[in-house]
Amino acid sequence: MRIPDRFRERYCSLVDDEEAFLSCLGELLPKSFRVNTIKSSADEVMRRFEGYGMGLKRVPWYGDAFICDNPEAGFSLEHFTGAIYIQELVSMLPPLLVREELGKSRFVLDGCAAPGSKSTQIAAMMGNKGTLIANDVSYSRIRALKFNLEKAGVLNTVITNRDLNAFQNLKFETILLDAPCSSEGTIRKNYDVFDAWSEGGIRQFSNVQKQLILKAFDMLMPEGTLVYSTCTFAPEENEEVLQHLIDNRPEARLEKASFDGLRTSETVGSWNGTEFSGEIRNAARIWPHHNDTGGFFLAKVRK
Amino acid sequence: MRRRGTSEVISPPGTKEKVFGYLEERFGLERSLFDDYGLYMASKGRVYLGPRRVPDLPKIATIGLLIARVHGTVKPSTNLLQALGKRVSRNIVNATREQALAYARGGDFKPDSAAVDGIGDGYVLVRFEGASLGCGLLQKGMVKNMLPKAKRLELRYI
Ligand SMILES: C[S@@+](CC[C@H](N)C(=O)[O-])C[C@H]1O[C@@H](n2cnc3c(N)ncnc32)[C@H](O)[C@@H]1O
Repeated sequence: MRIPDRFRERYCSLVDDEEAFLSCLGELLPKSFRVNTIKSSADEVMRRFEGYGMGLKRVPWYGDAFICDNPEAGFSLEHFTGAIYIQELVSMLPPLLVREELGKSRFVLDGCAAPGSKSTQIAAMMGNKGTLIANDVSYSRIRALKFNLEKAGVLNTVITNRDLNAFQNLKFETILLDAPCSSEGTIRKNYDVFDAWSEGGIRQFSNVQKQLILKAFDMLMPEGTLVYSTCTFAPEENEEVLQHLIDNRPEARLEKASFDGLRTSETVGSWNGTEFSGEIRNAARIWPHHNDTGGFFLAKVRK
Repeated sequence: MRRRGTSEVISPPGTKEKVFGYLEERFGLERSLFDDYGLYMASKGRVYLGPRRVPDLPKIATIGLLIARVHGTVKPSTNLLQALGKRVSRNIVNATREQALAYARGGDFKPDSAAVDGIGDGYVLVRFEGASLGCGLLQKGMVKNMLPKAKRLELRYI
């Protein structure tokens, strides 16, 4: 894997341990899955996997998540029946951040939903009740979204195929905006990321995200909660997008994003000469080498 | 998919009765299980169980889960029997390991006569060690596979 020089320059000054960061990017990601509580329970799955002789490690910050020492969990009975959902650990964080809200919400939007890792998790956290709108602009990715929701036994979801910016102005209690991004944090499972990597690309994503976050925020009911997340390191796609929200919607409040048992890191204080508001420090970065995961960013916004 | 406003859309009239009646009679799935949900119809007799409240939106691709196809008779989906498998109380065929493997890869199997004792021909829930594998059709002592192609899998850990 060849890491672009410009990538090094950009991020090495932001991390605590440059060497650990760079070498981690070249290491294989541990295999993980989430128990689909619509169909099963963590105890039941643990018992079955013990019988297979597969070592499972329960994730300290999420009782329904496991790391599996065997890469073949996808050939298990539990994967076949939808009792488990193979998902990267950091991808489980956005729903987890609003677990309590989701337990009470009856009207929820997943604005960029395909292929549905987080939609299936949200539906389970809603107890498969109420209404979840799972939307994605990409027609081809809707197929996978549909397949995954079906397999997980999700009943409470309506799939729509729209540009979120053109969405009706409905009001939701909880919204997830898992934005399209430059995906730098997924490099450990997808080496192609660096082939397409450019700062121009980052700029473009940033512009798209700024539009989407305003739209998503405007669709919140009063007191509603929005989770904004990306799987990328670029401050243009993270802190800068939150700054854009705060500048344009002064009523937006950021709440602390943290998880017991997971190491999160400070957000970036300034970038390209722009100083970010102090409130943005409530958001969280996850660097790959801290928890042996992909890279991630997430923020919890309250109206 | 056809739907209007916030209410469920079912036609022809009586389809809802037919579907819920069948699921109760054949599988012991009580109607109260569906109280929080609505039924929606699409083309080719497809019936979906989805949220009760569906806003009026353009570009809806799917509402809820495809639970049955109705053409005179009701054909339950594997999705439904997997999702509510734990609540099913009758017409369950308990498969052996070999039979479960065959089922998962899309094959038919011949159940032991004890496994189908008292089960009349028709759709059944195929189970293995408590796990709901999906829908089968019991006919002349054979369980015919009803698993959609995309769901088939060569299981290695069972
Ligand atoms: C990071 S992925 C979402 C992953 C998904 N949340 C999951 O957990 O499986 C971003 C998605 O945003 C969709 N997308 C991009 N622009 C969009 C827009 N304007 N409106 C709605 N969806 C959009 C893409 O098609 C892509 O599927």
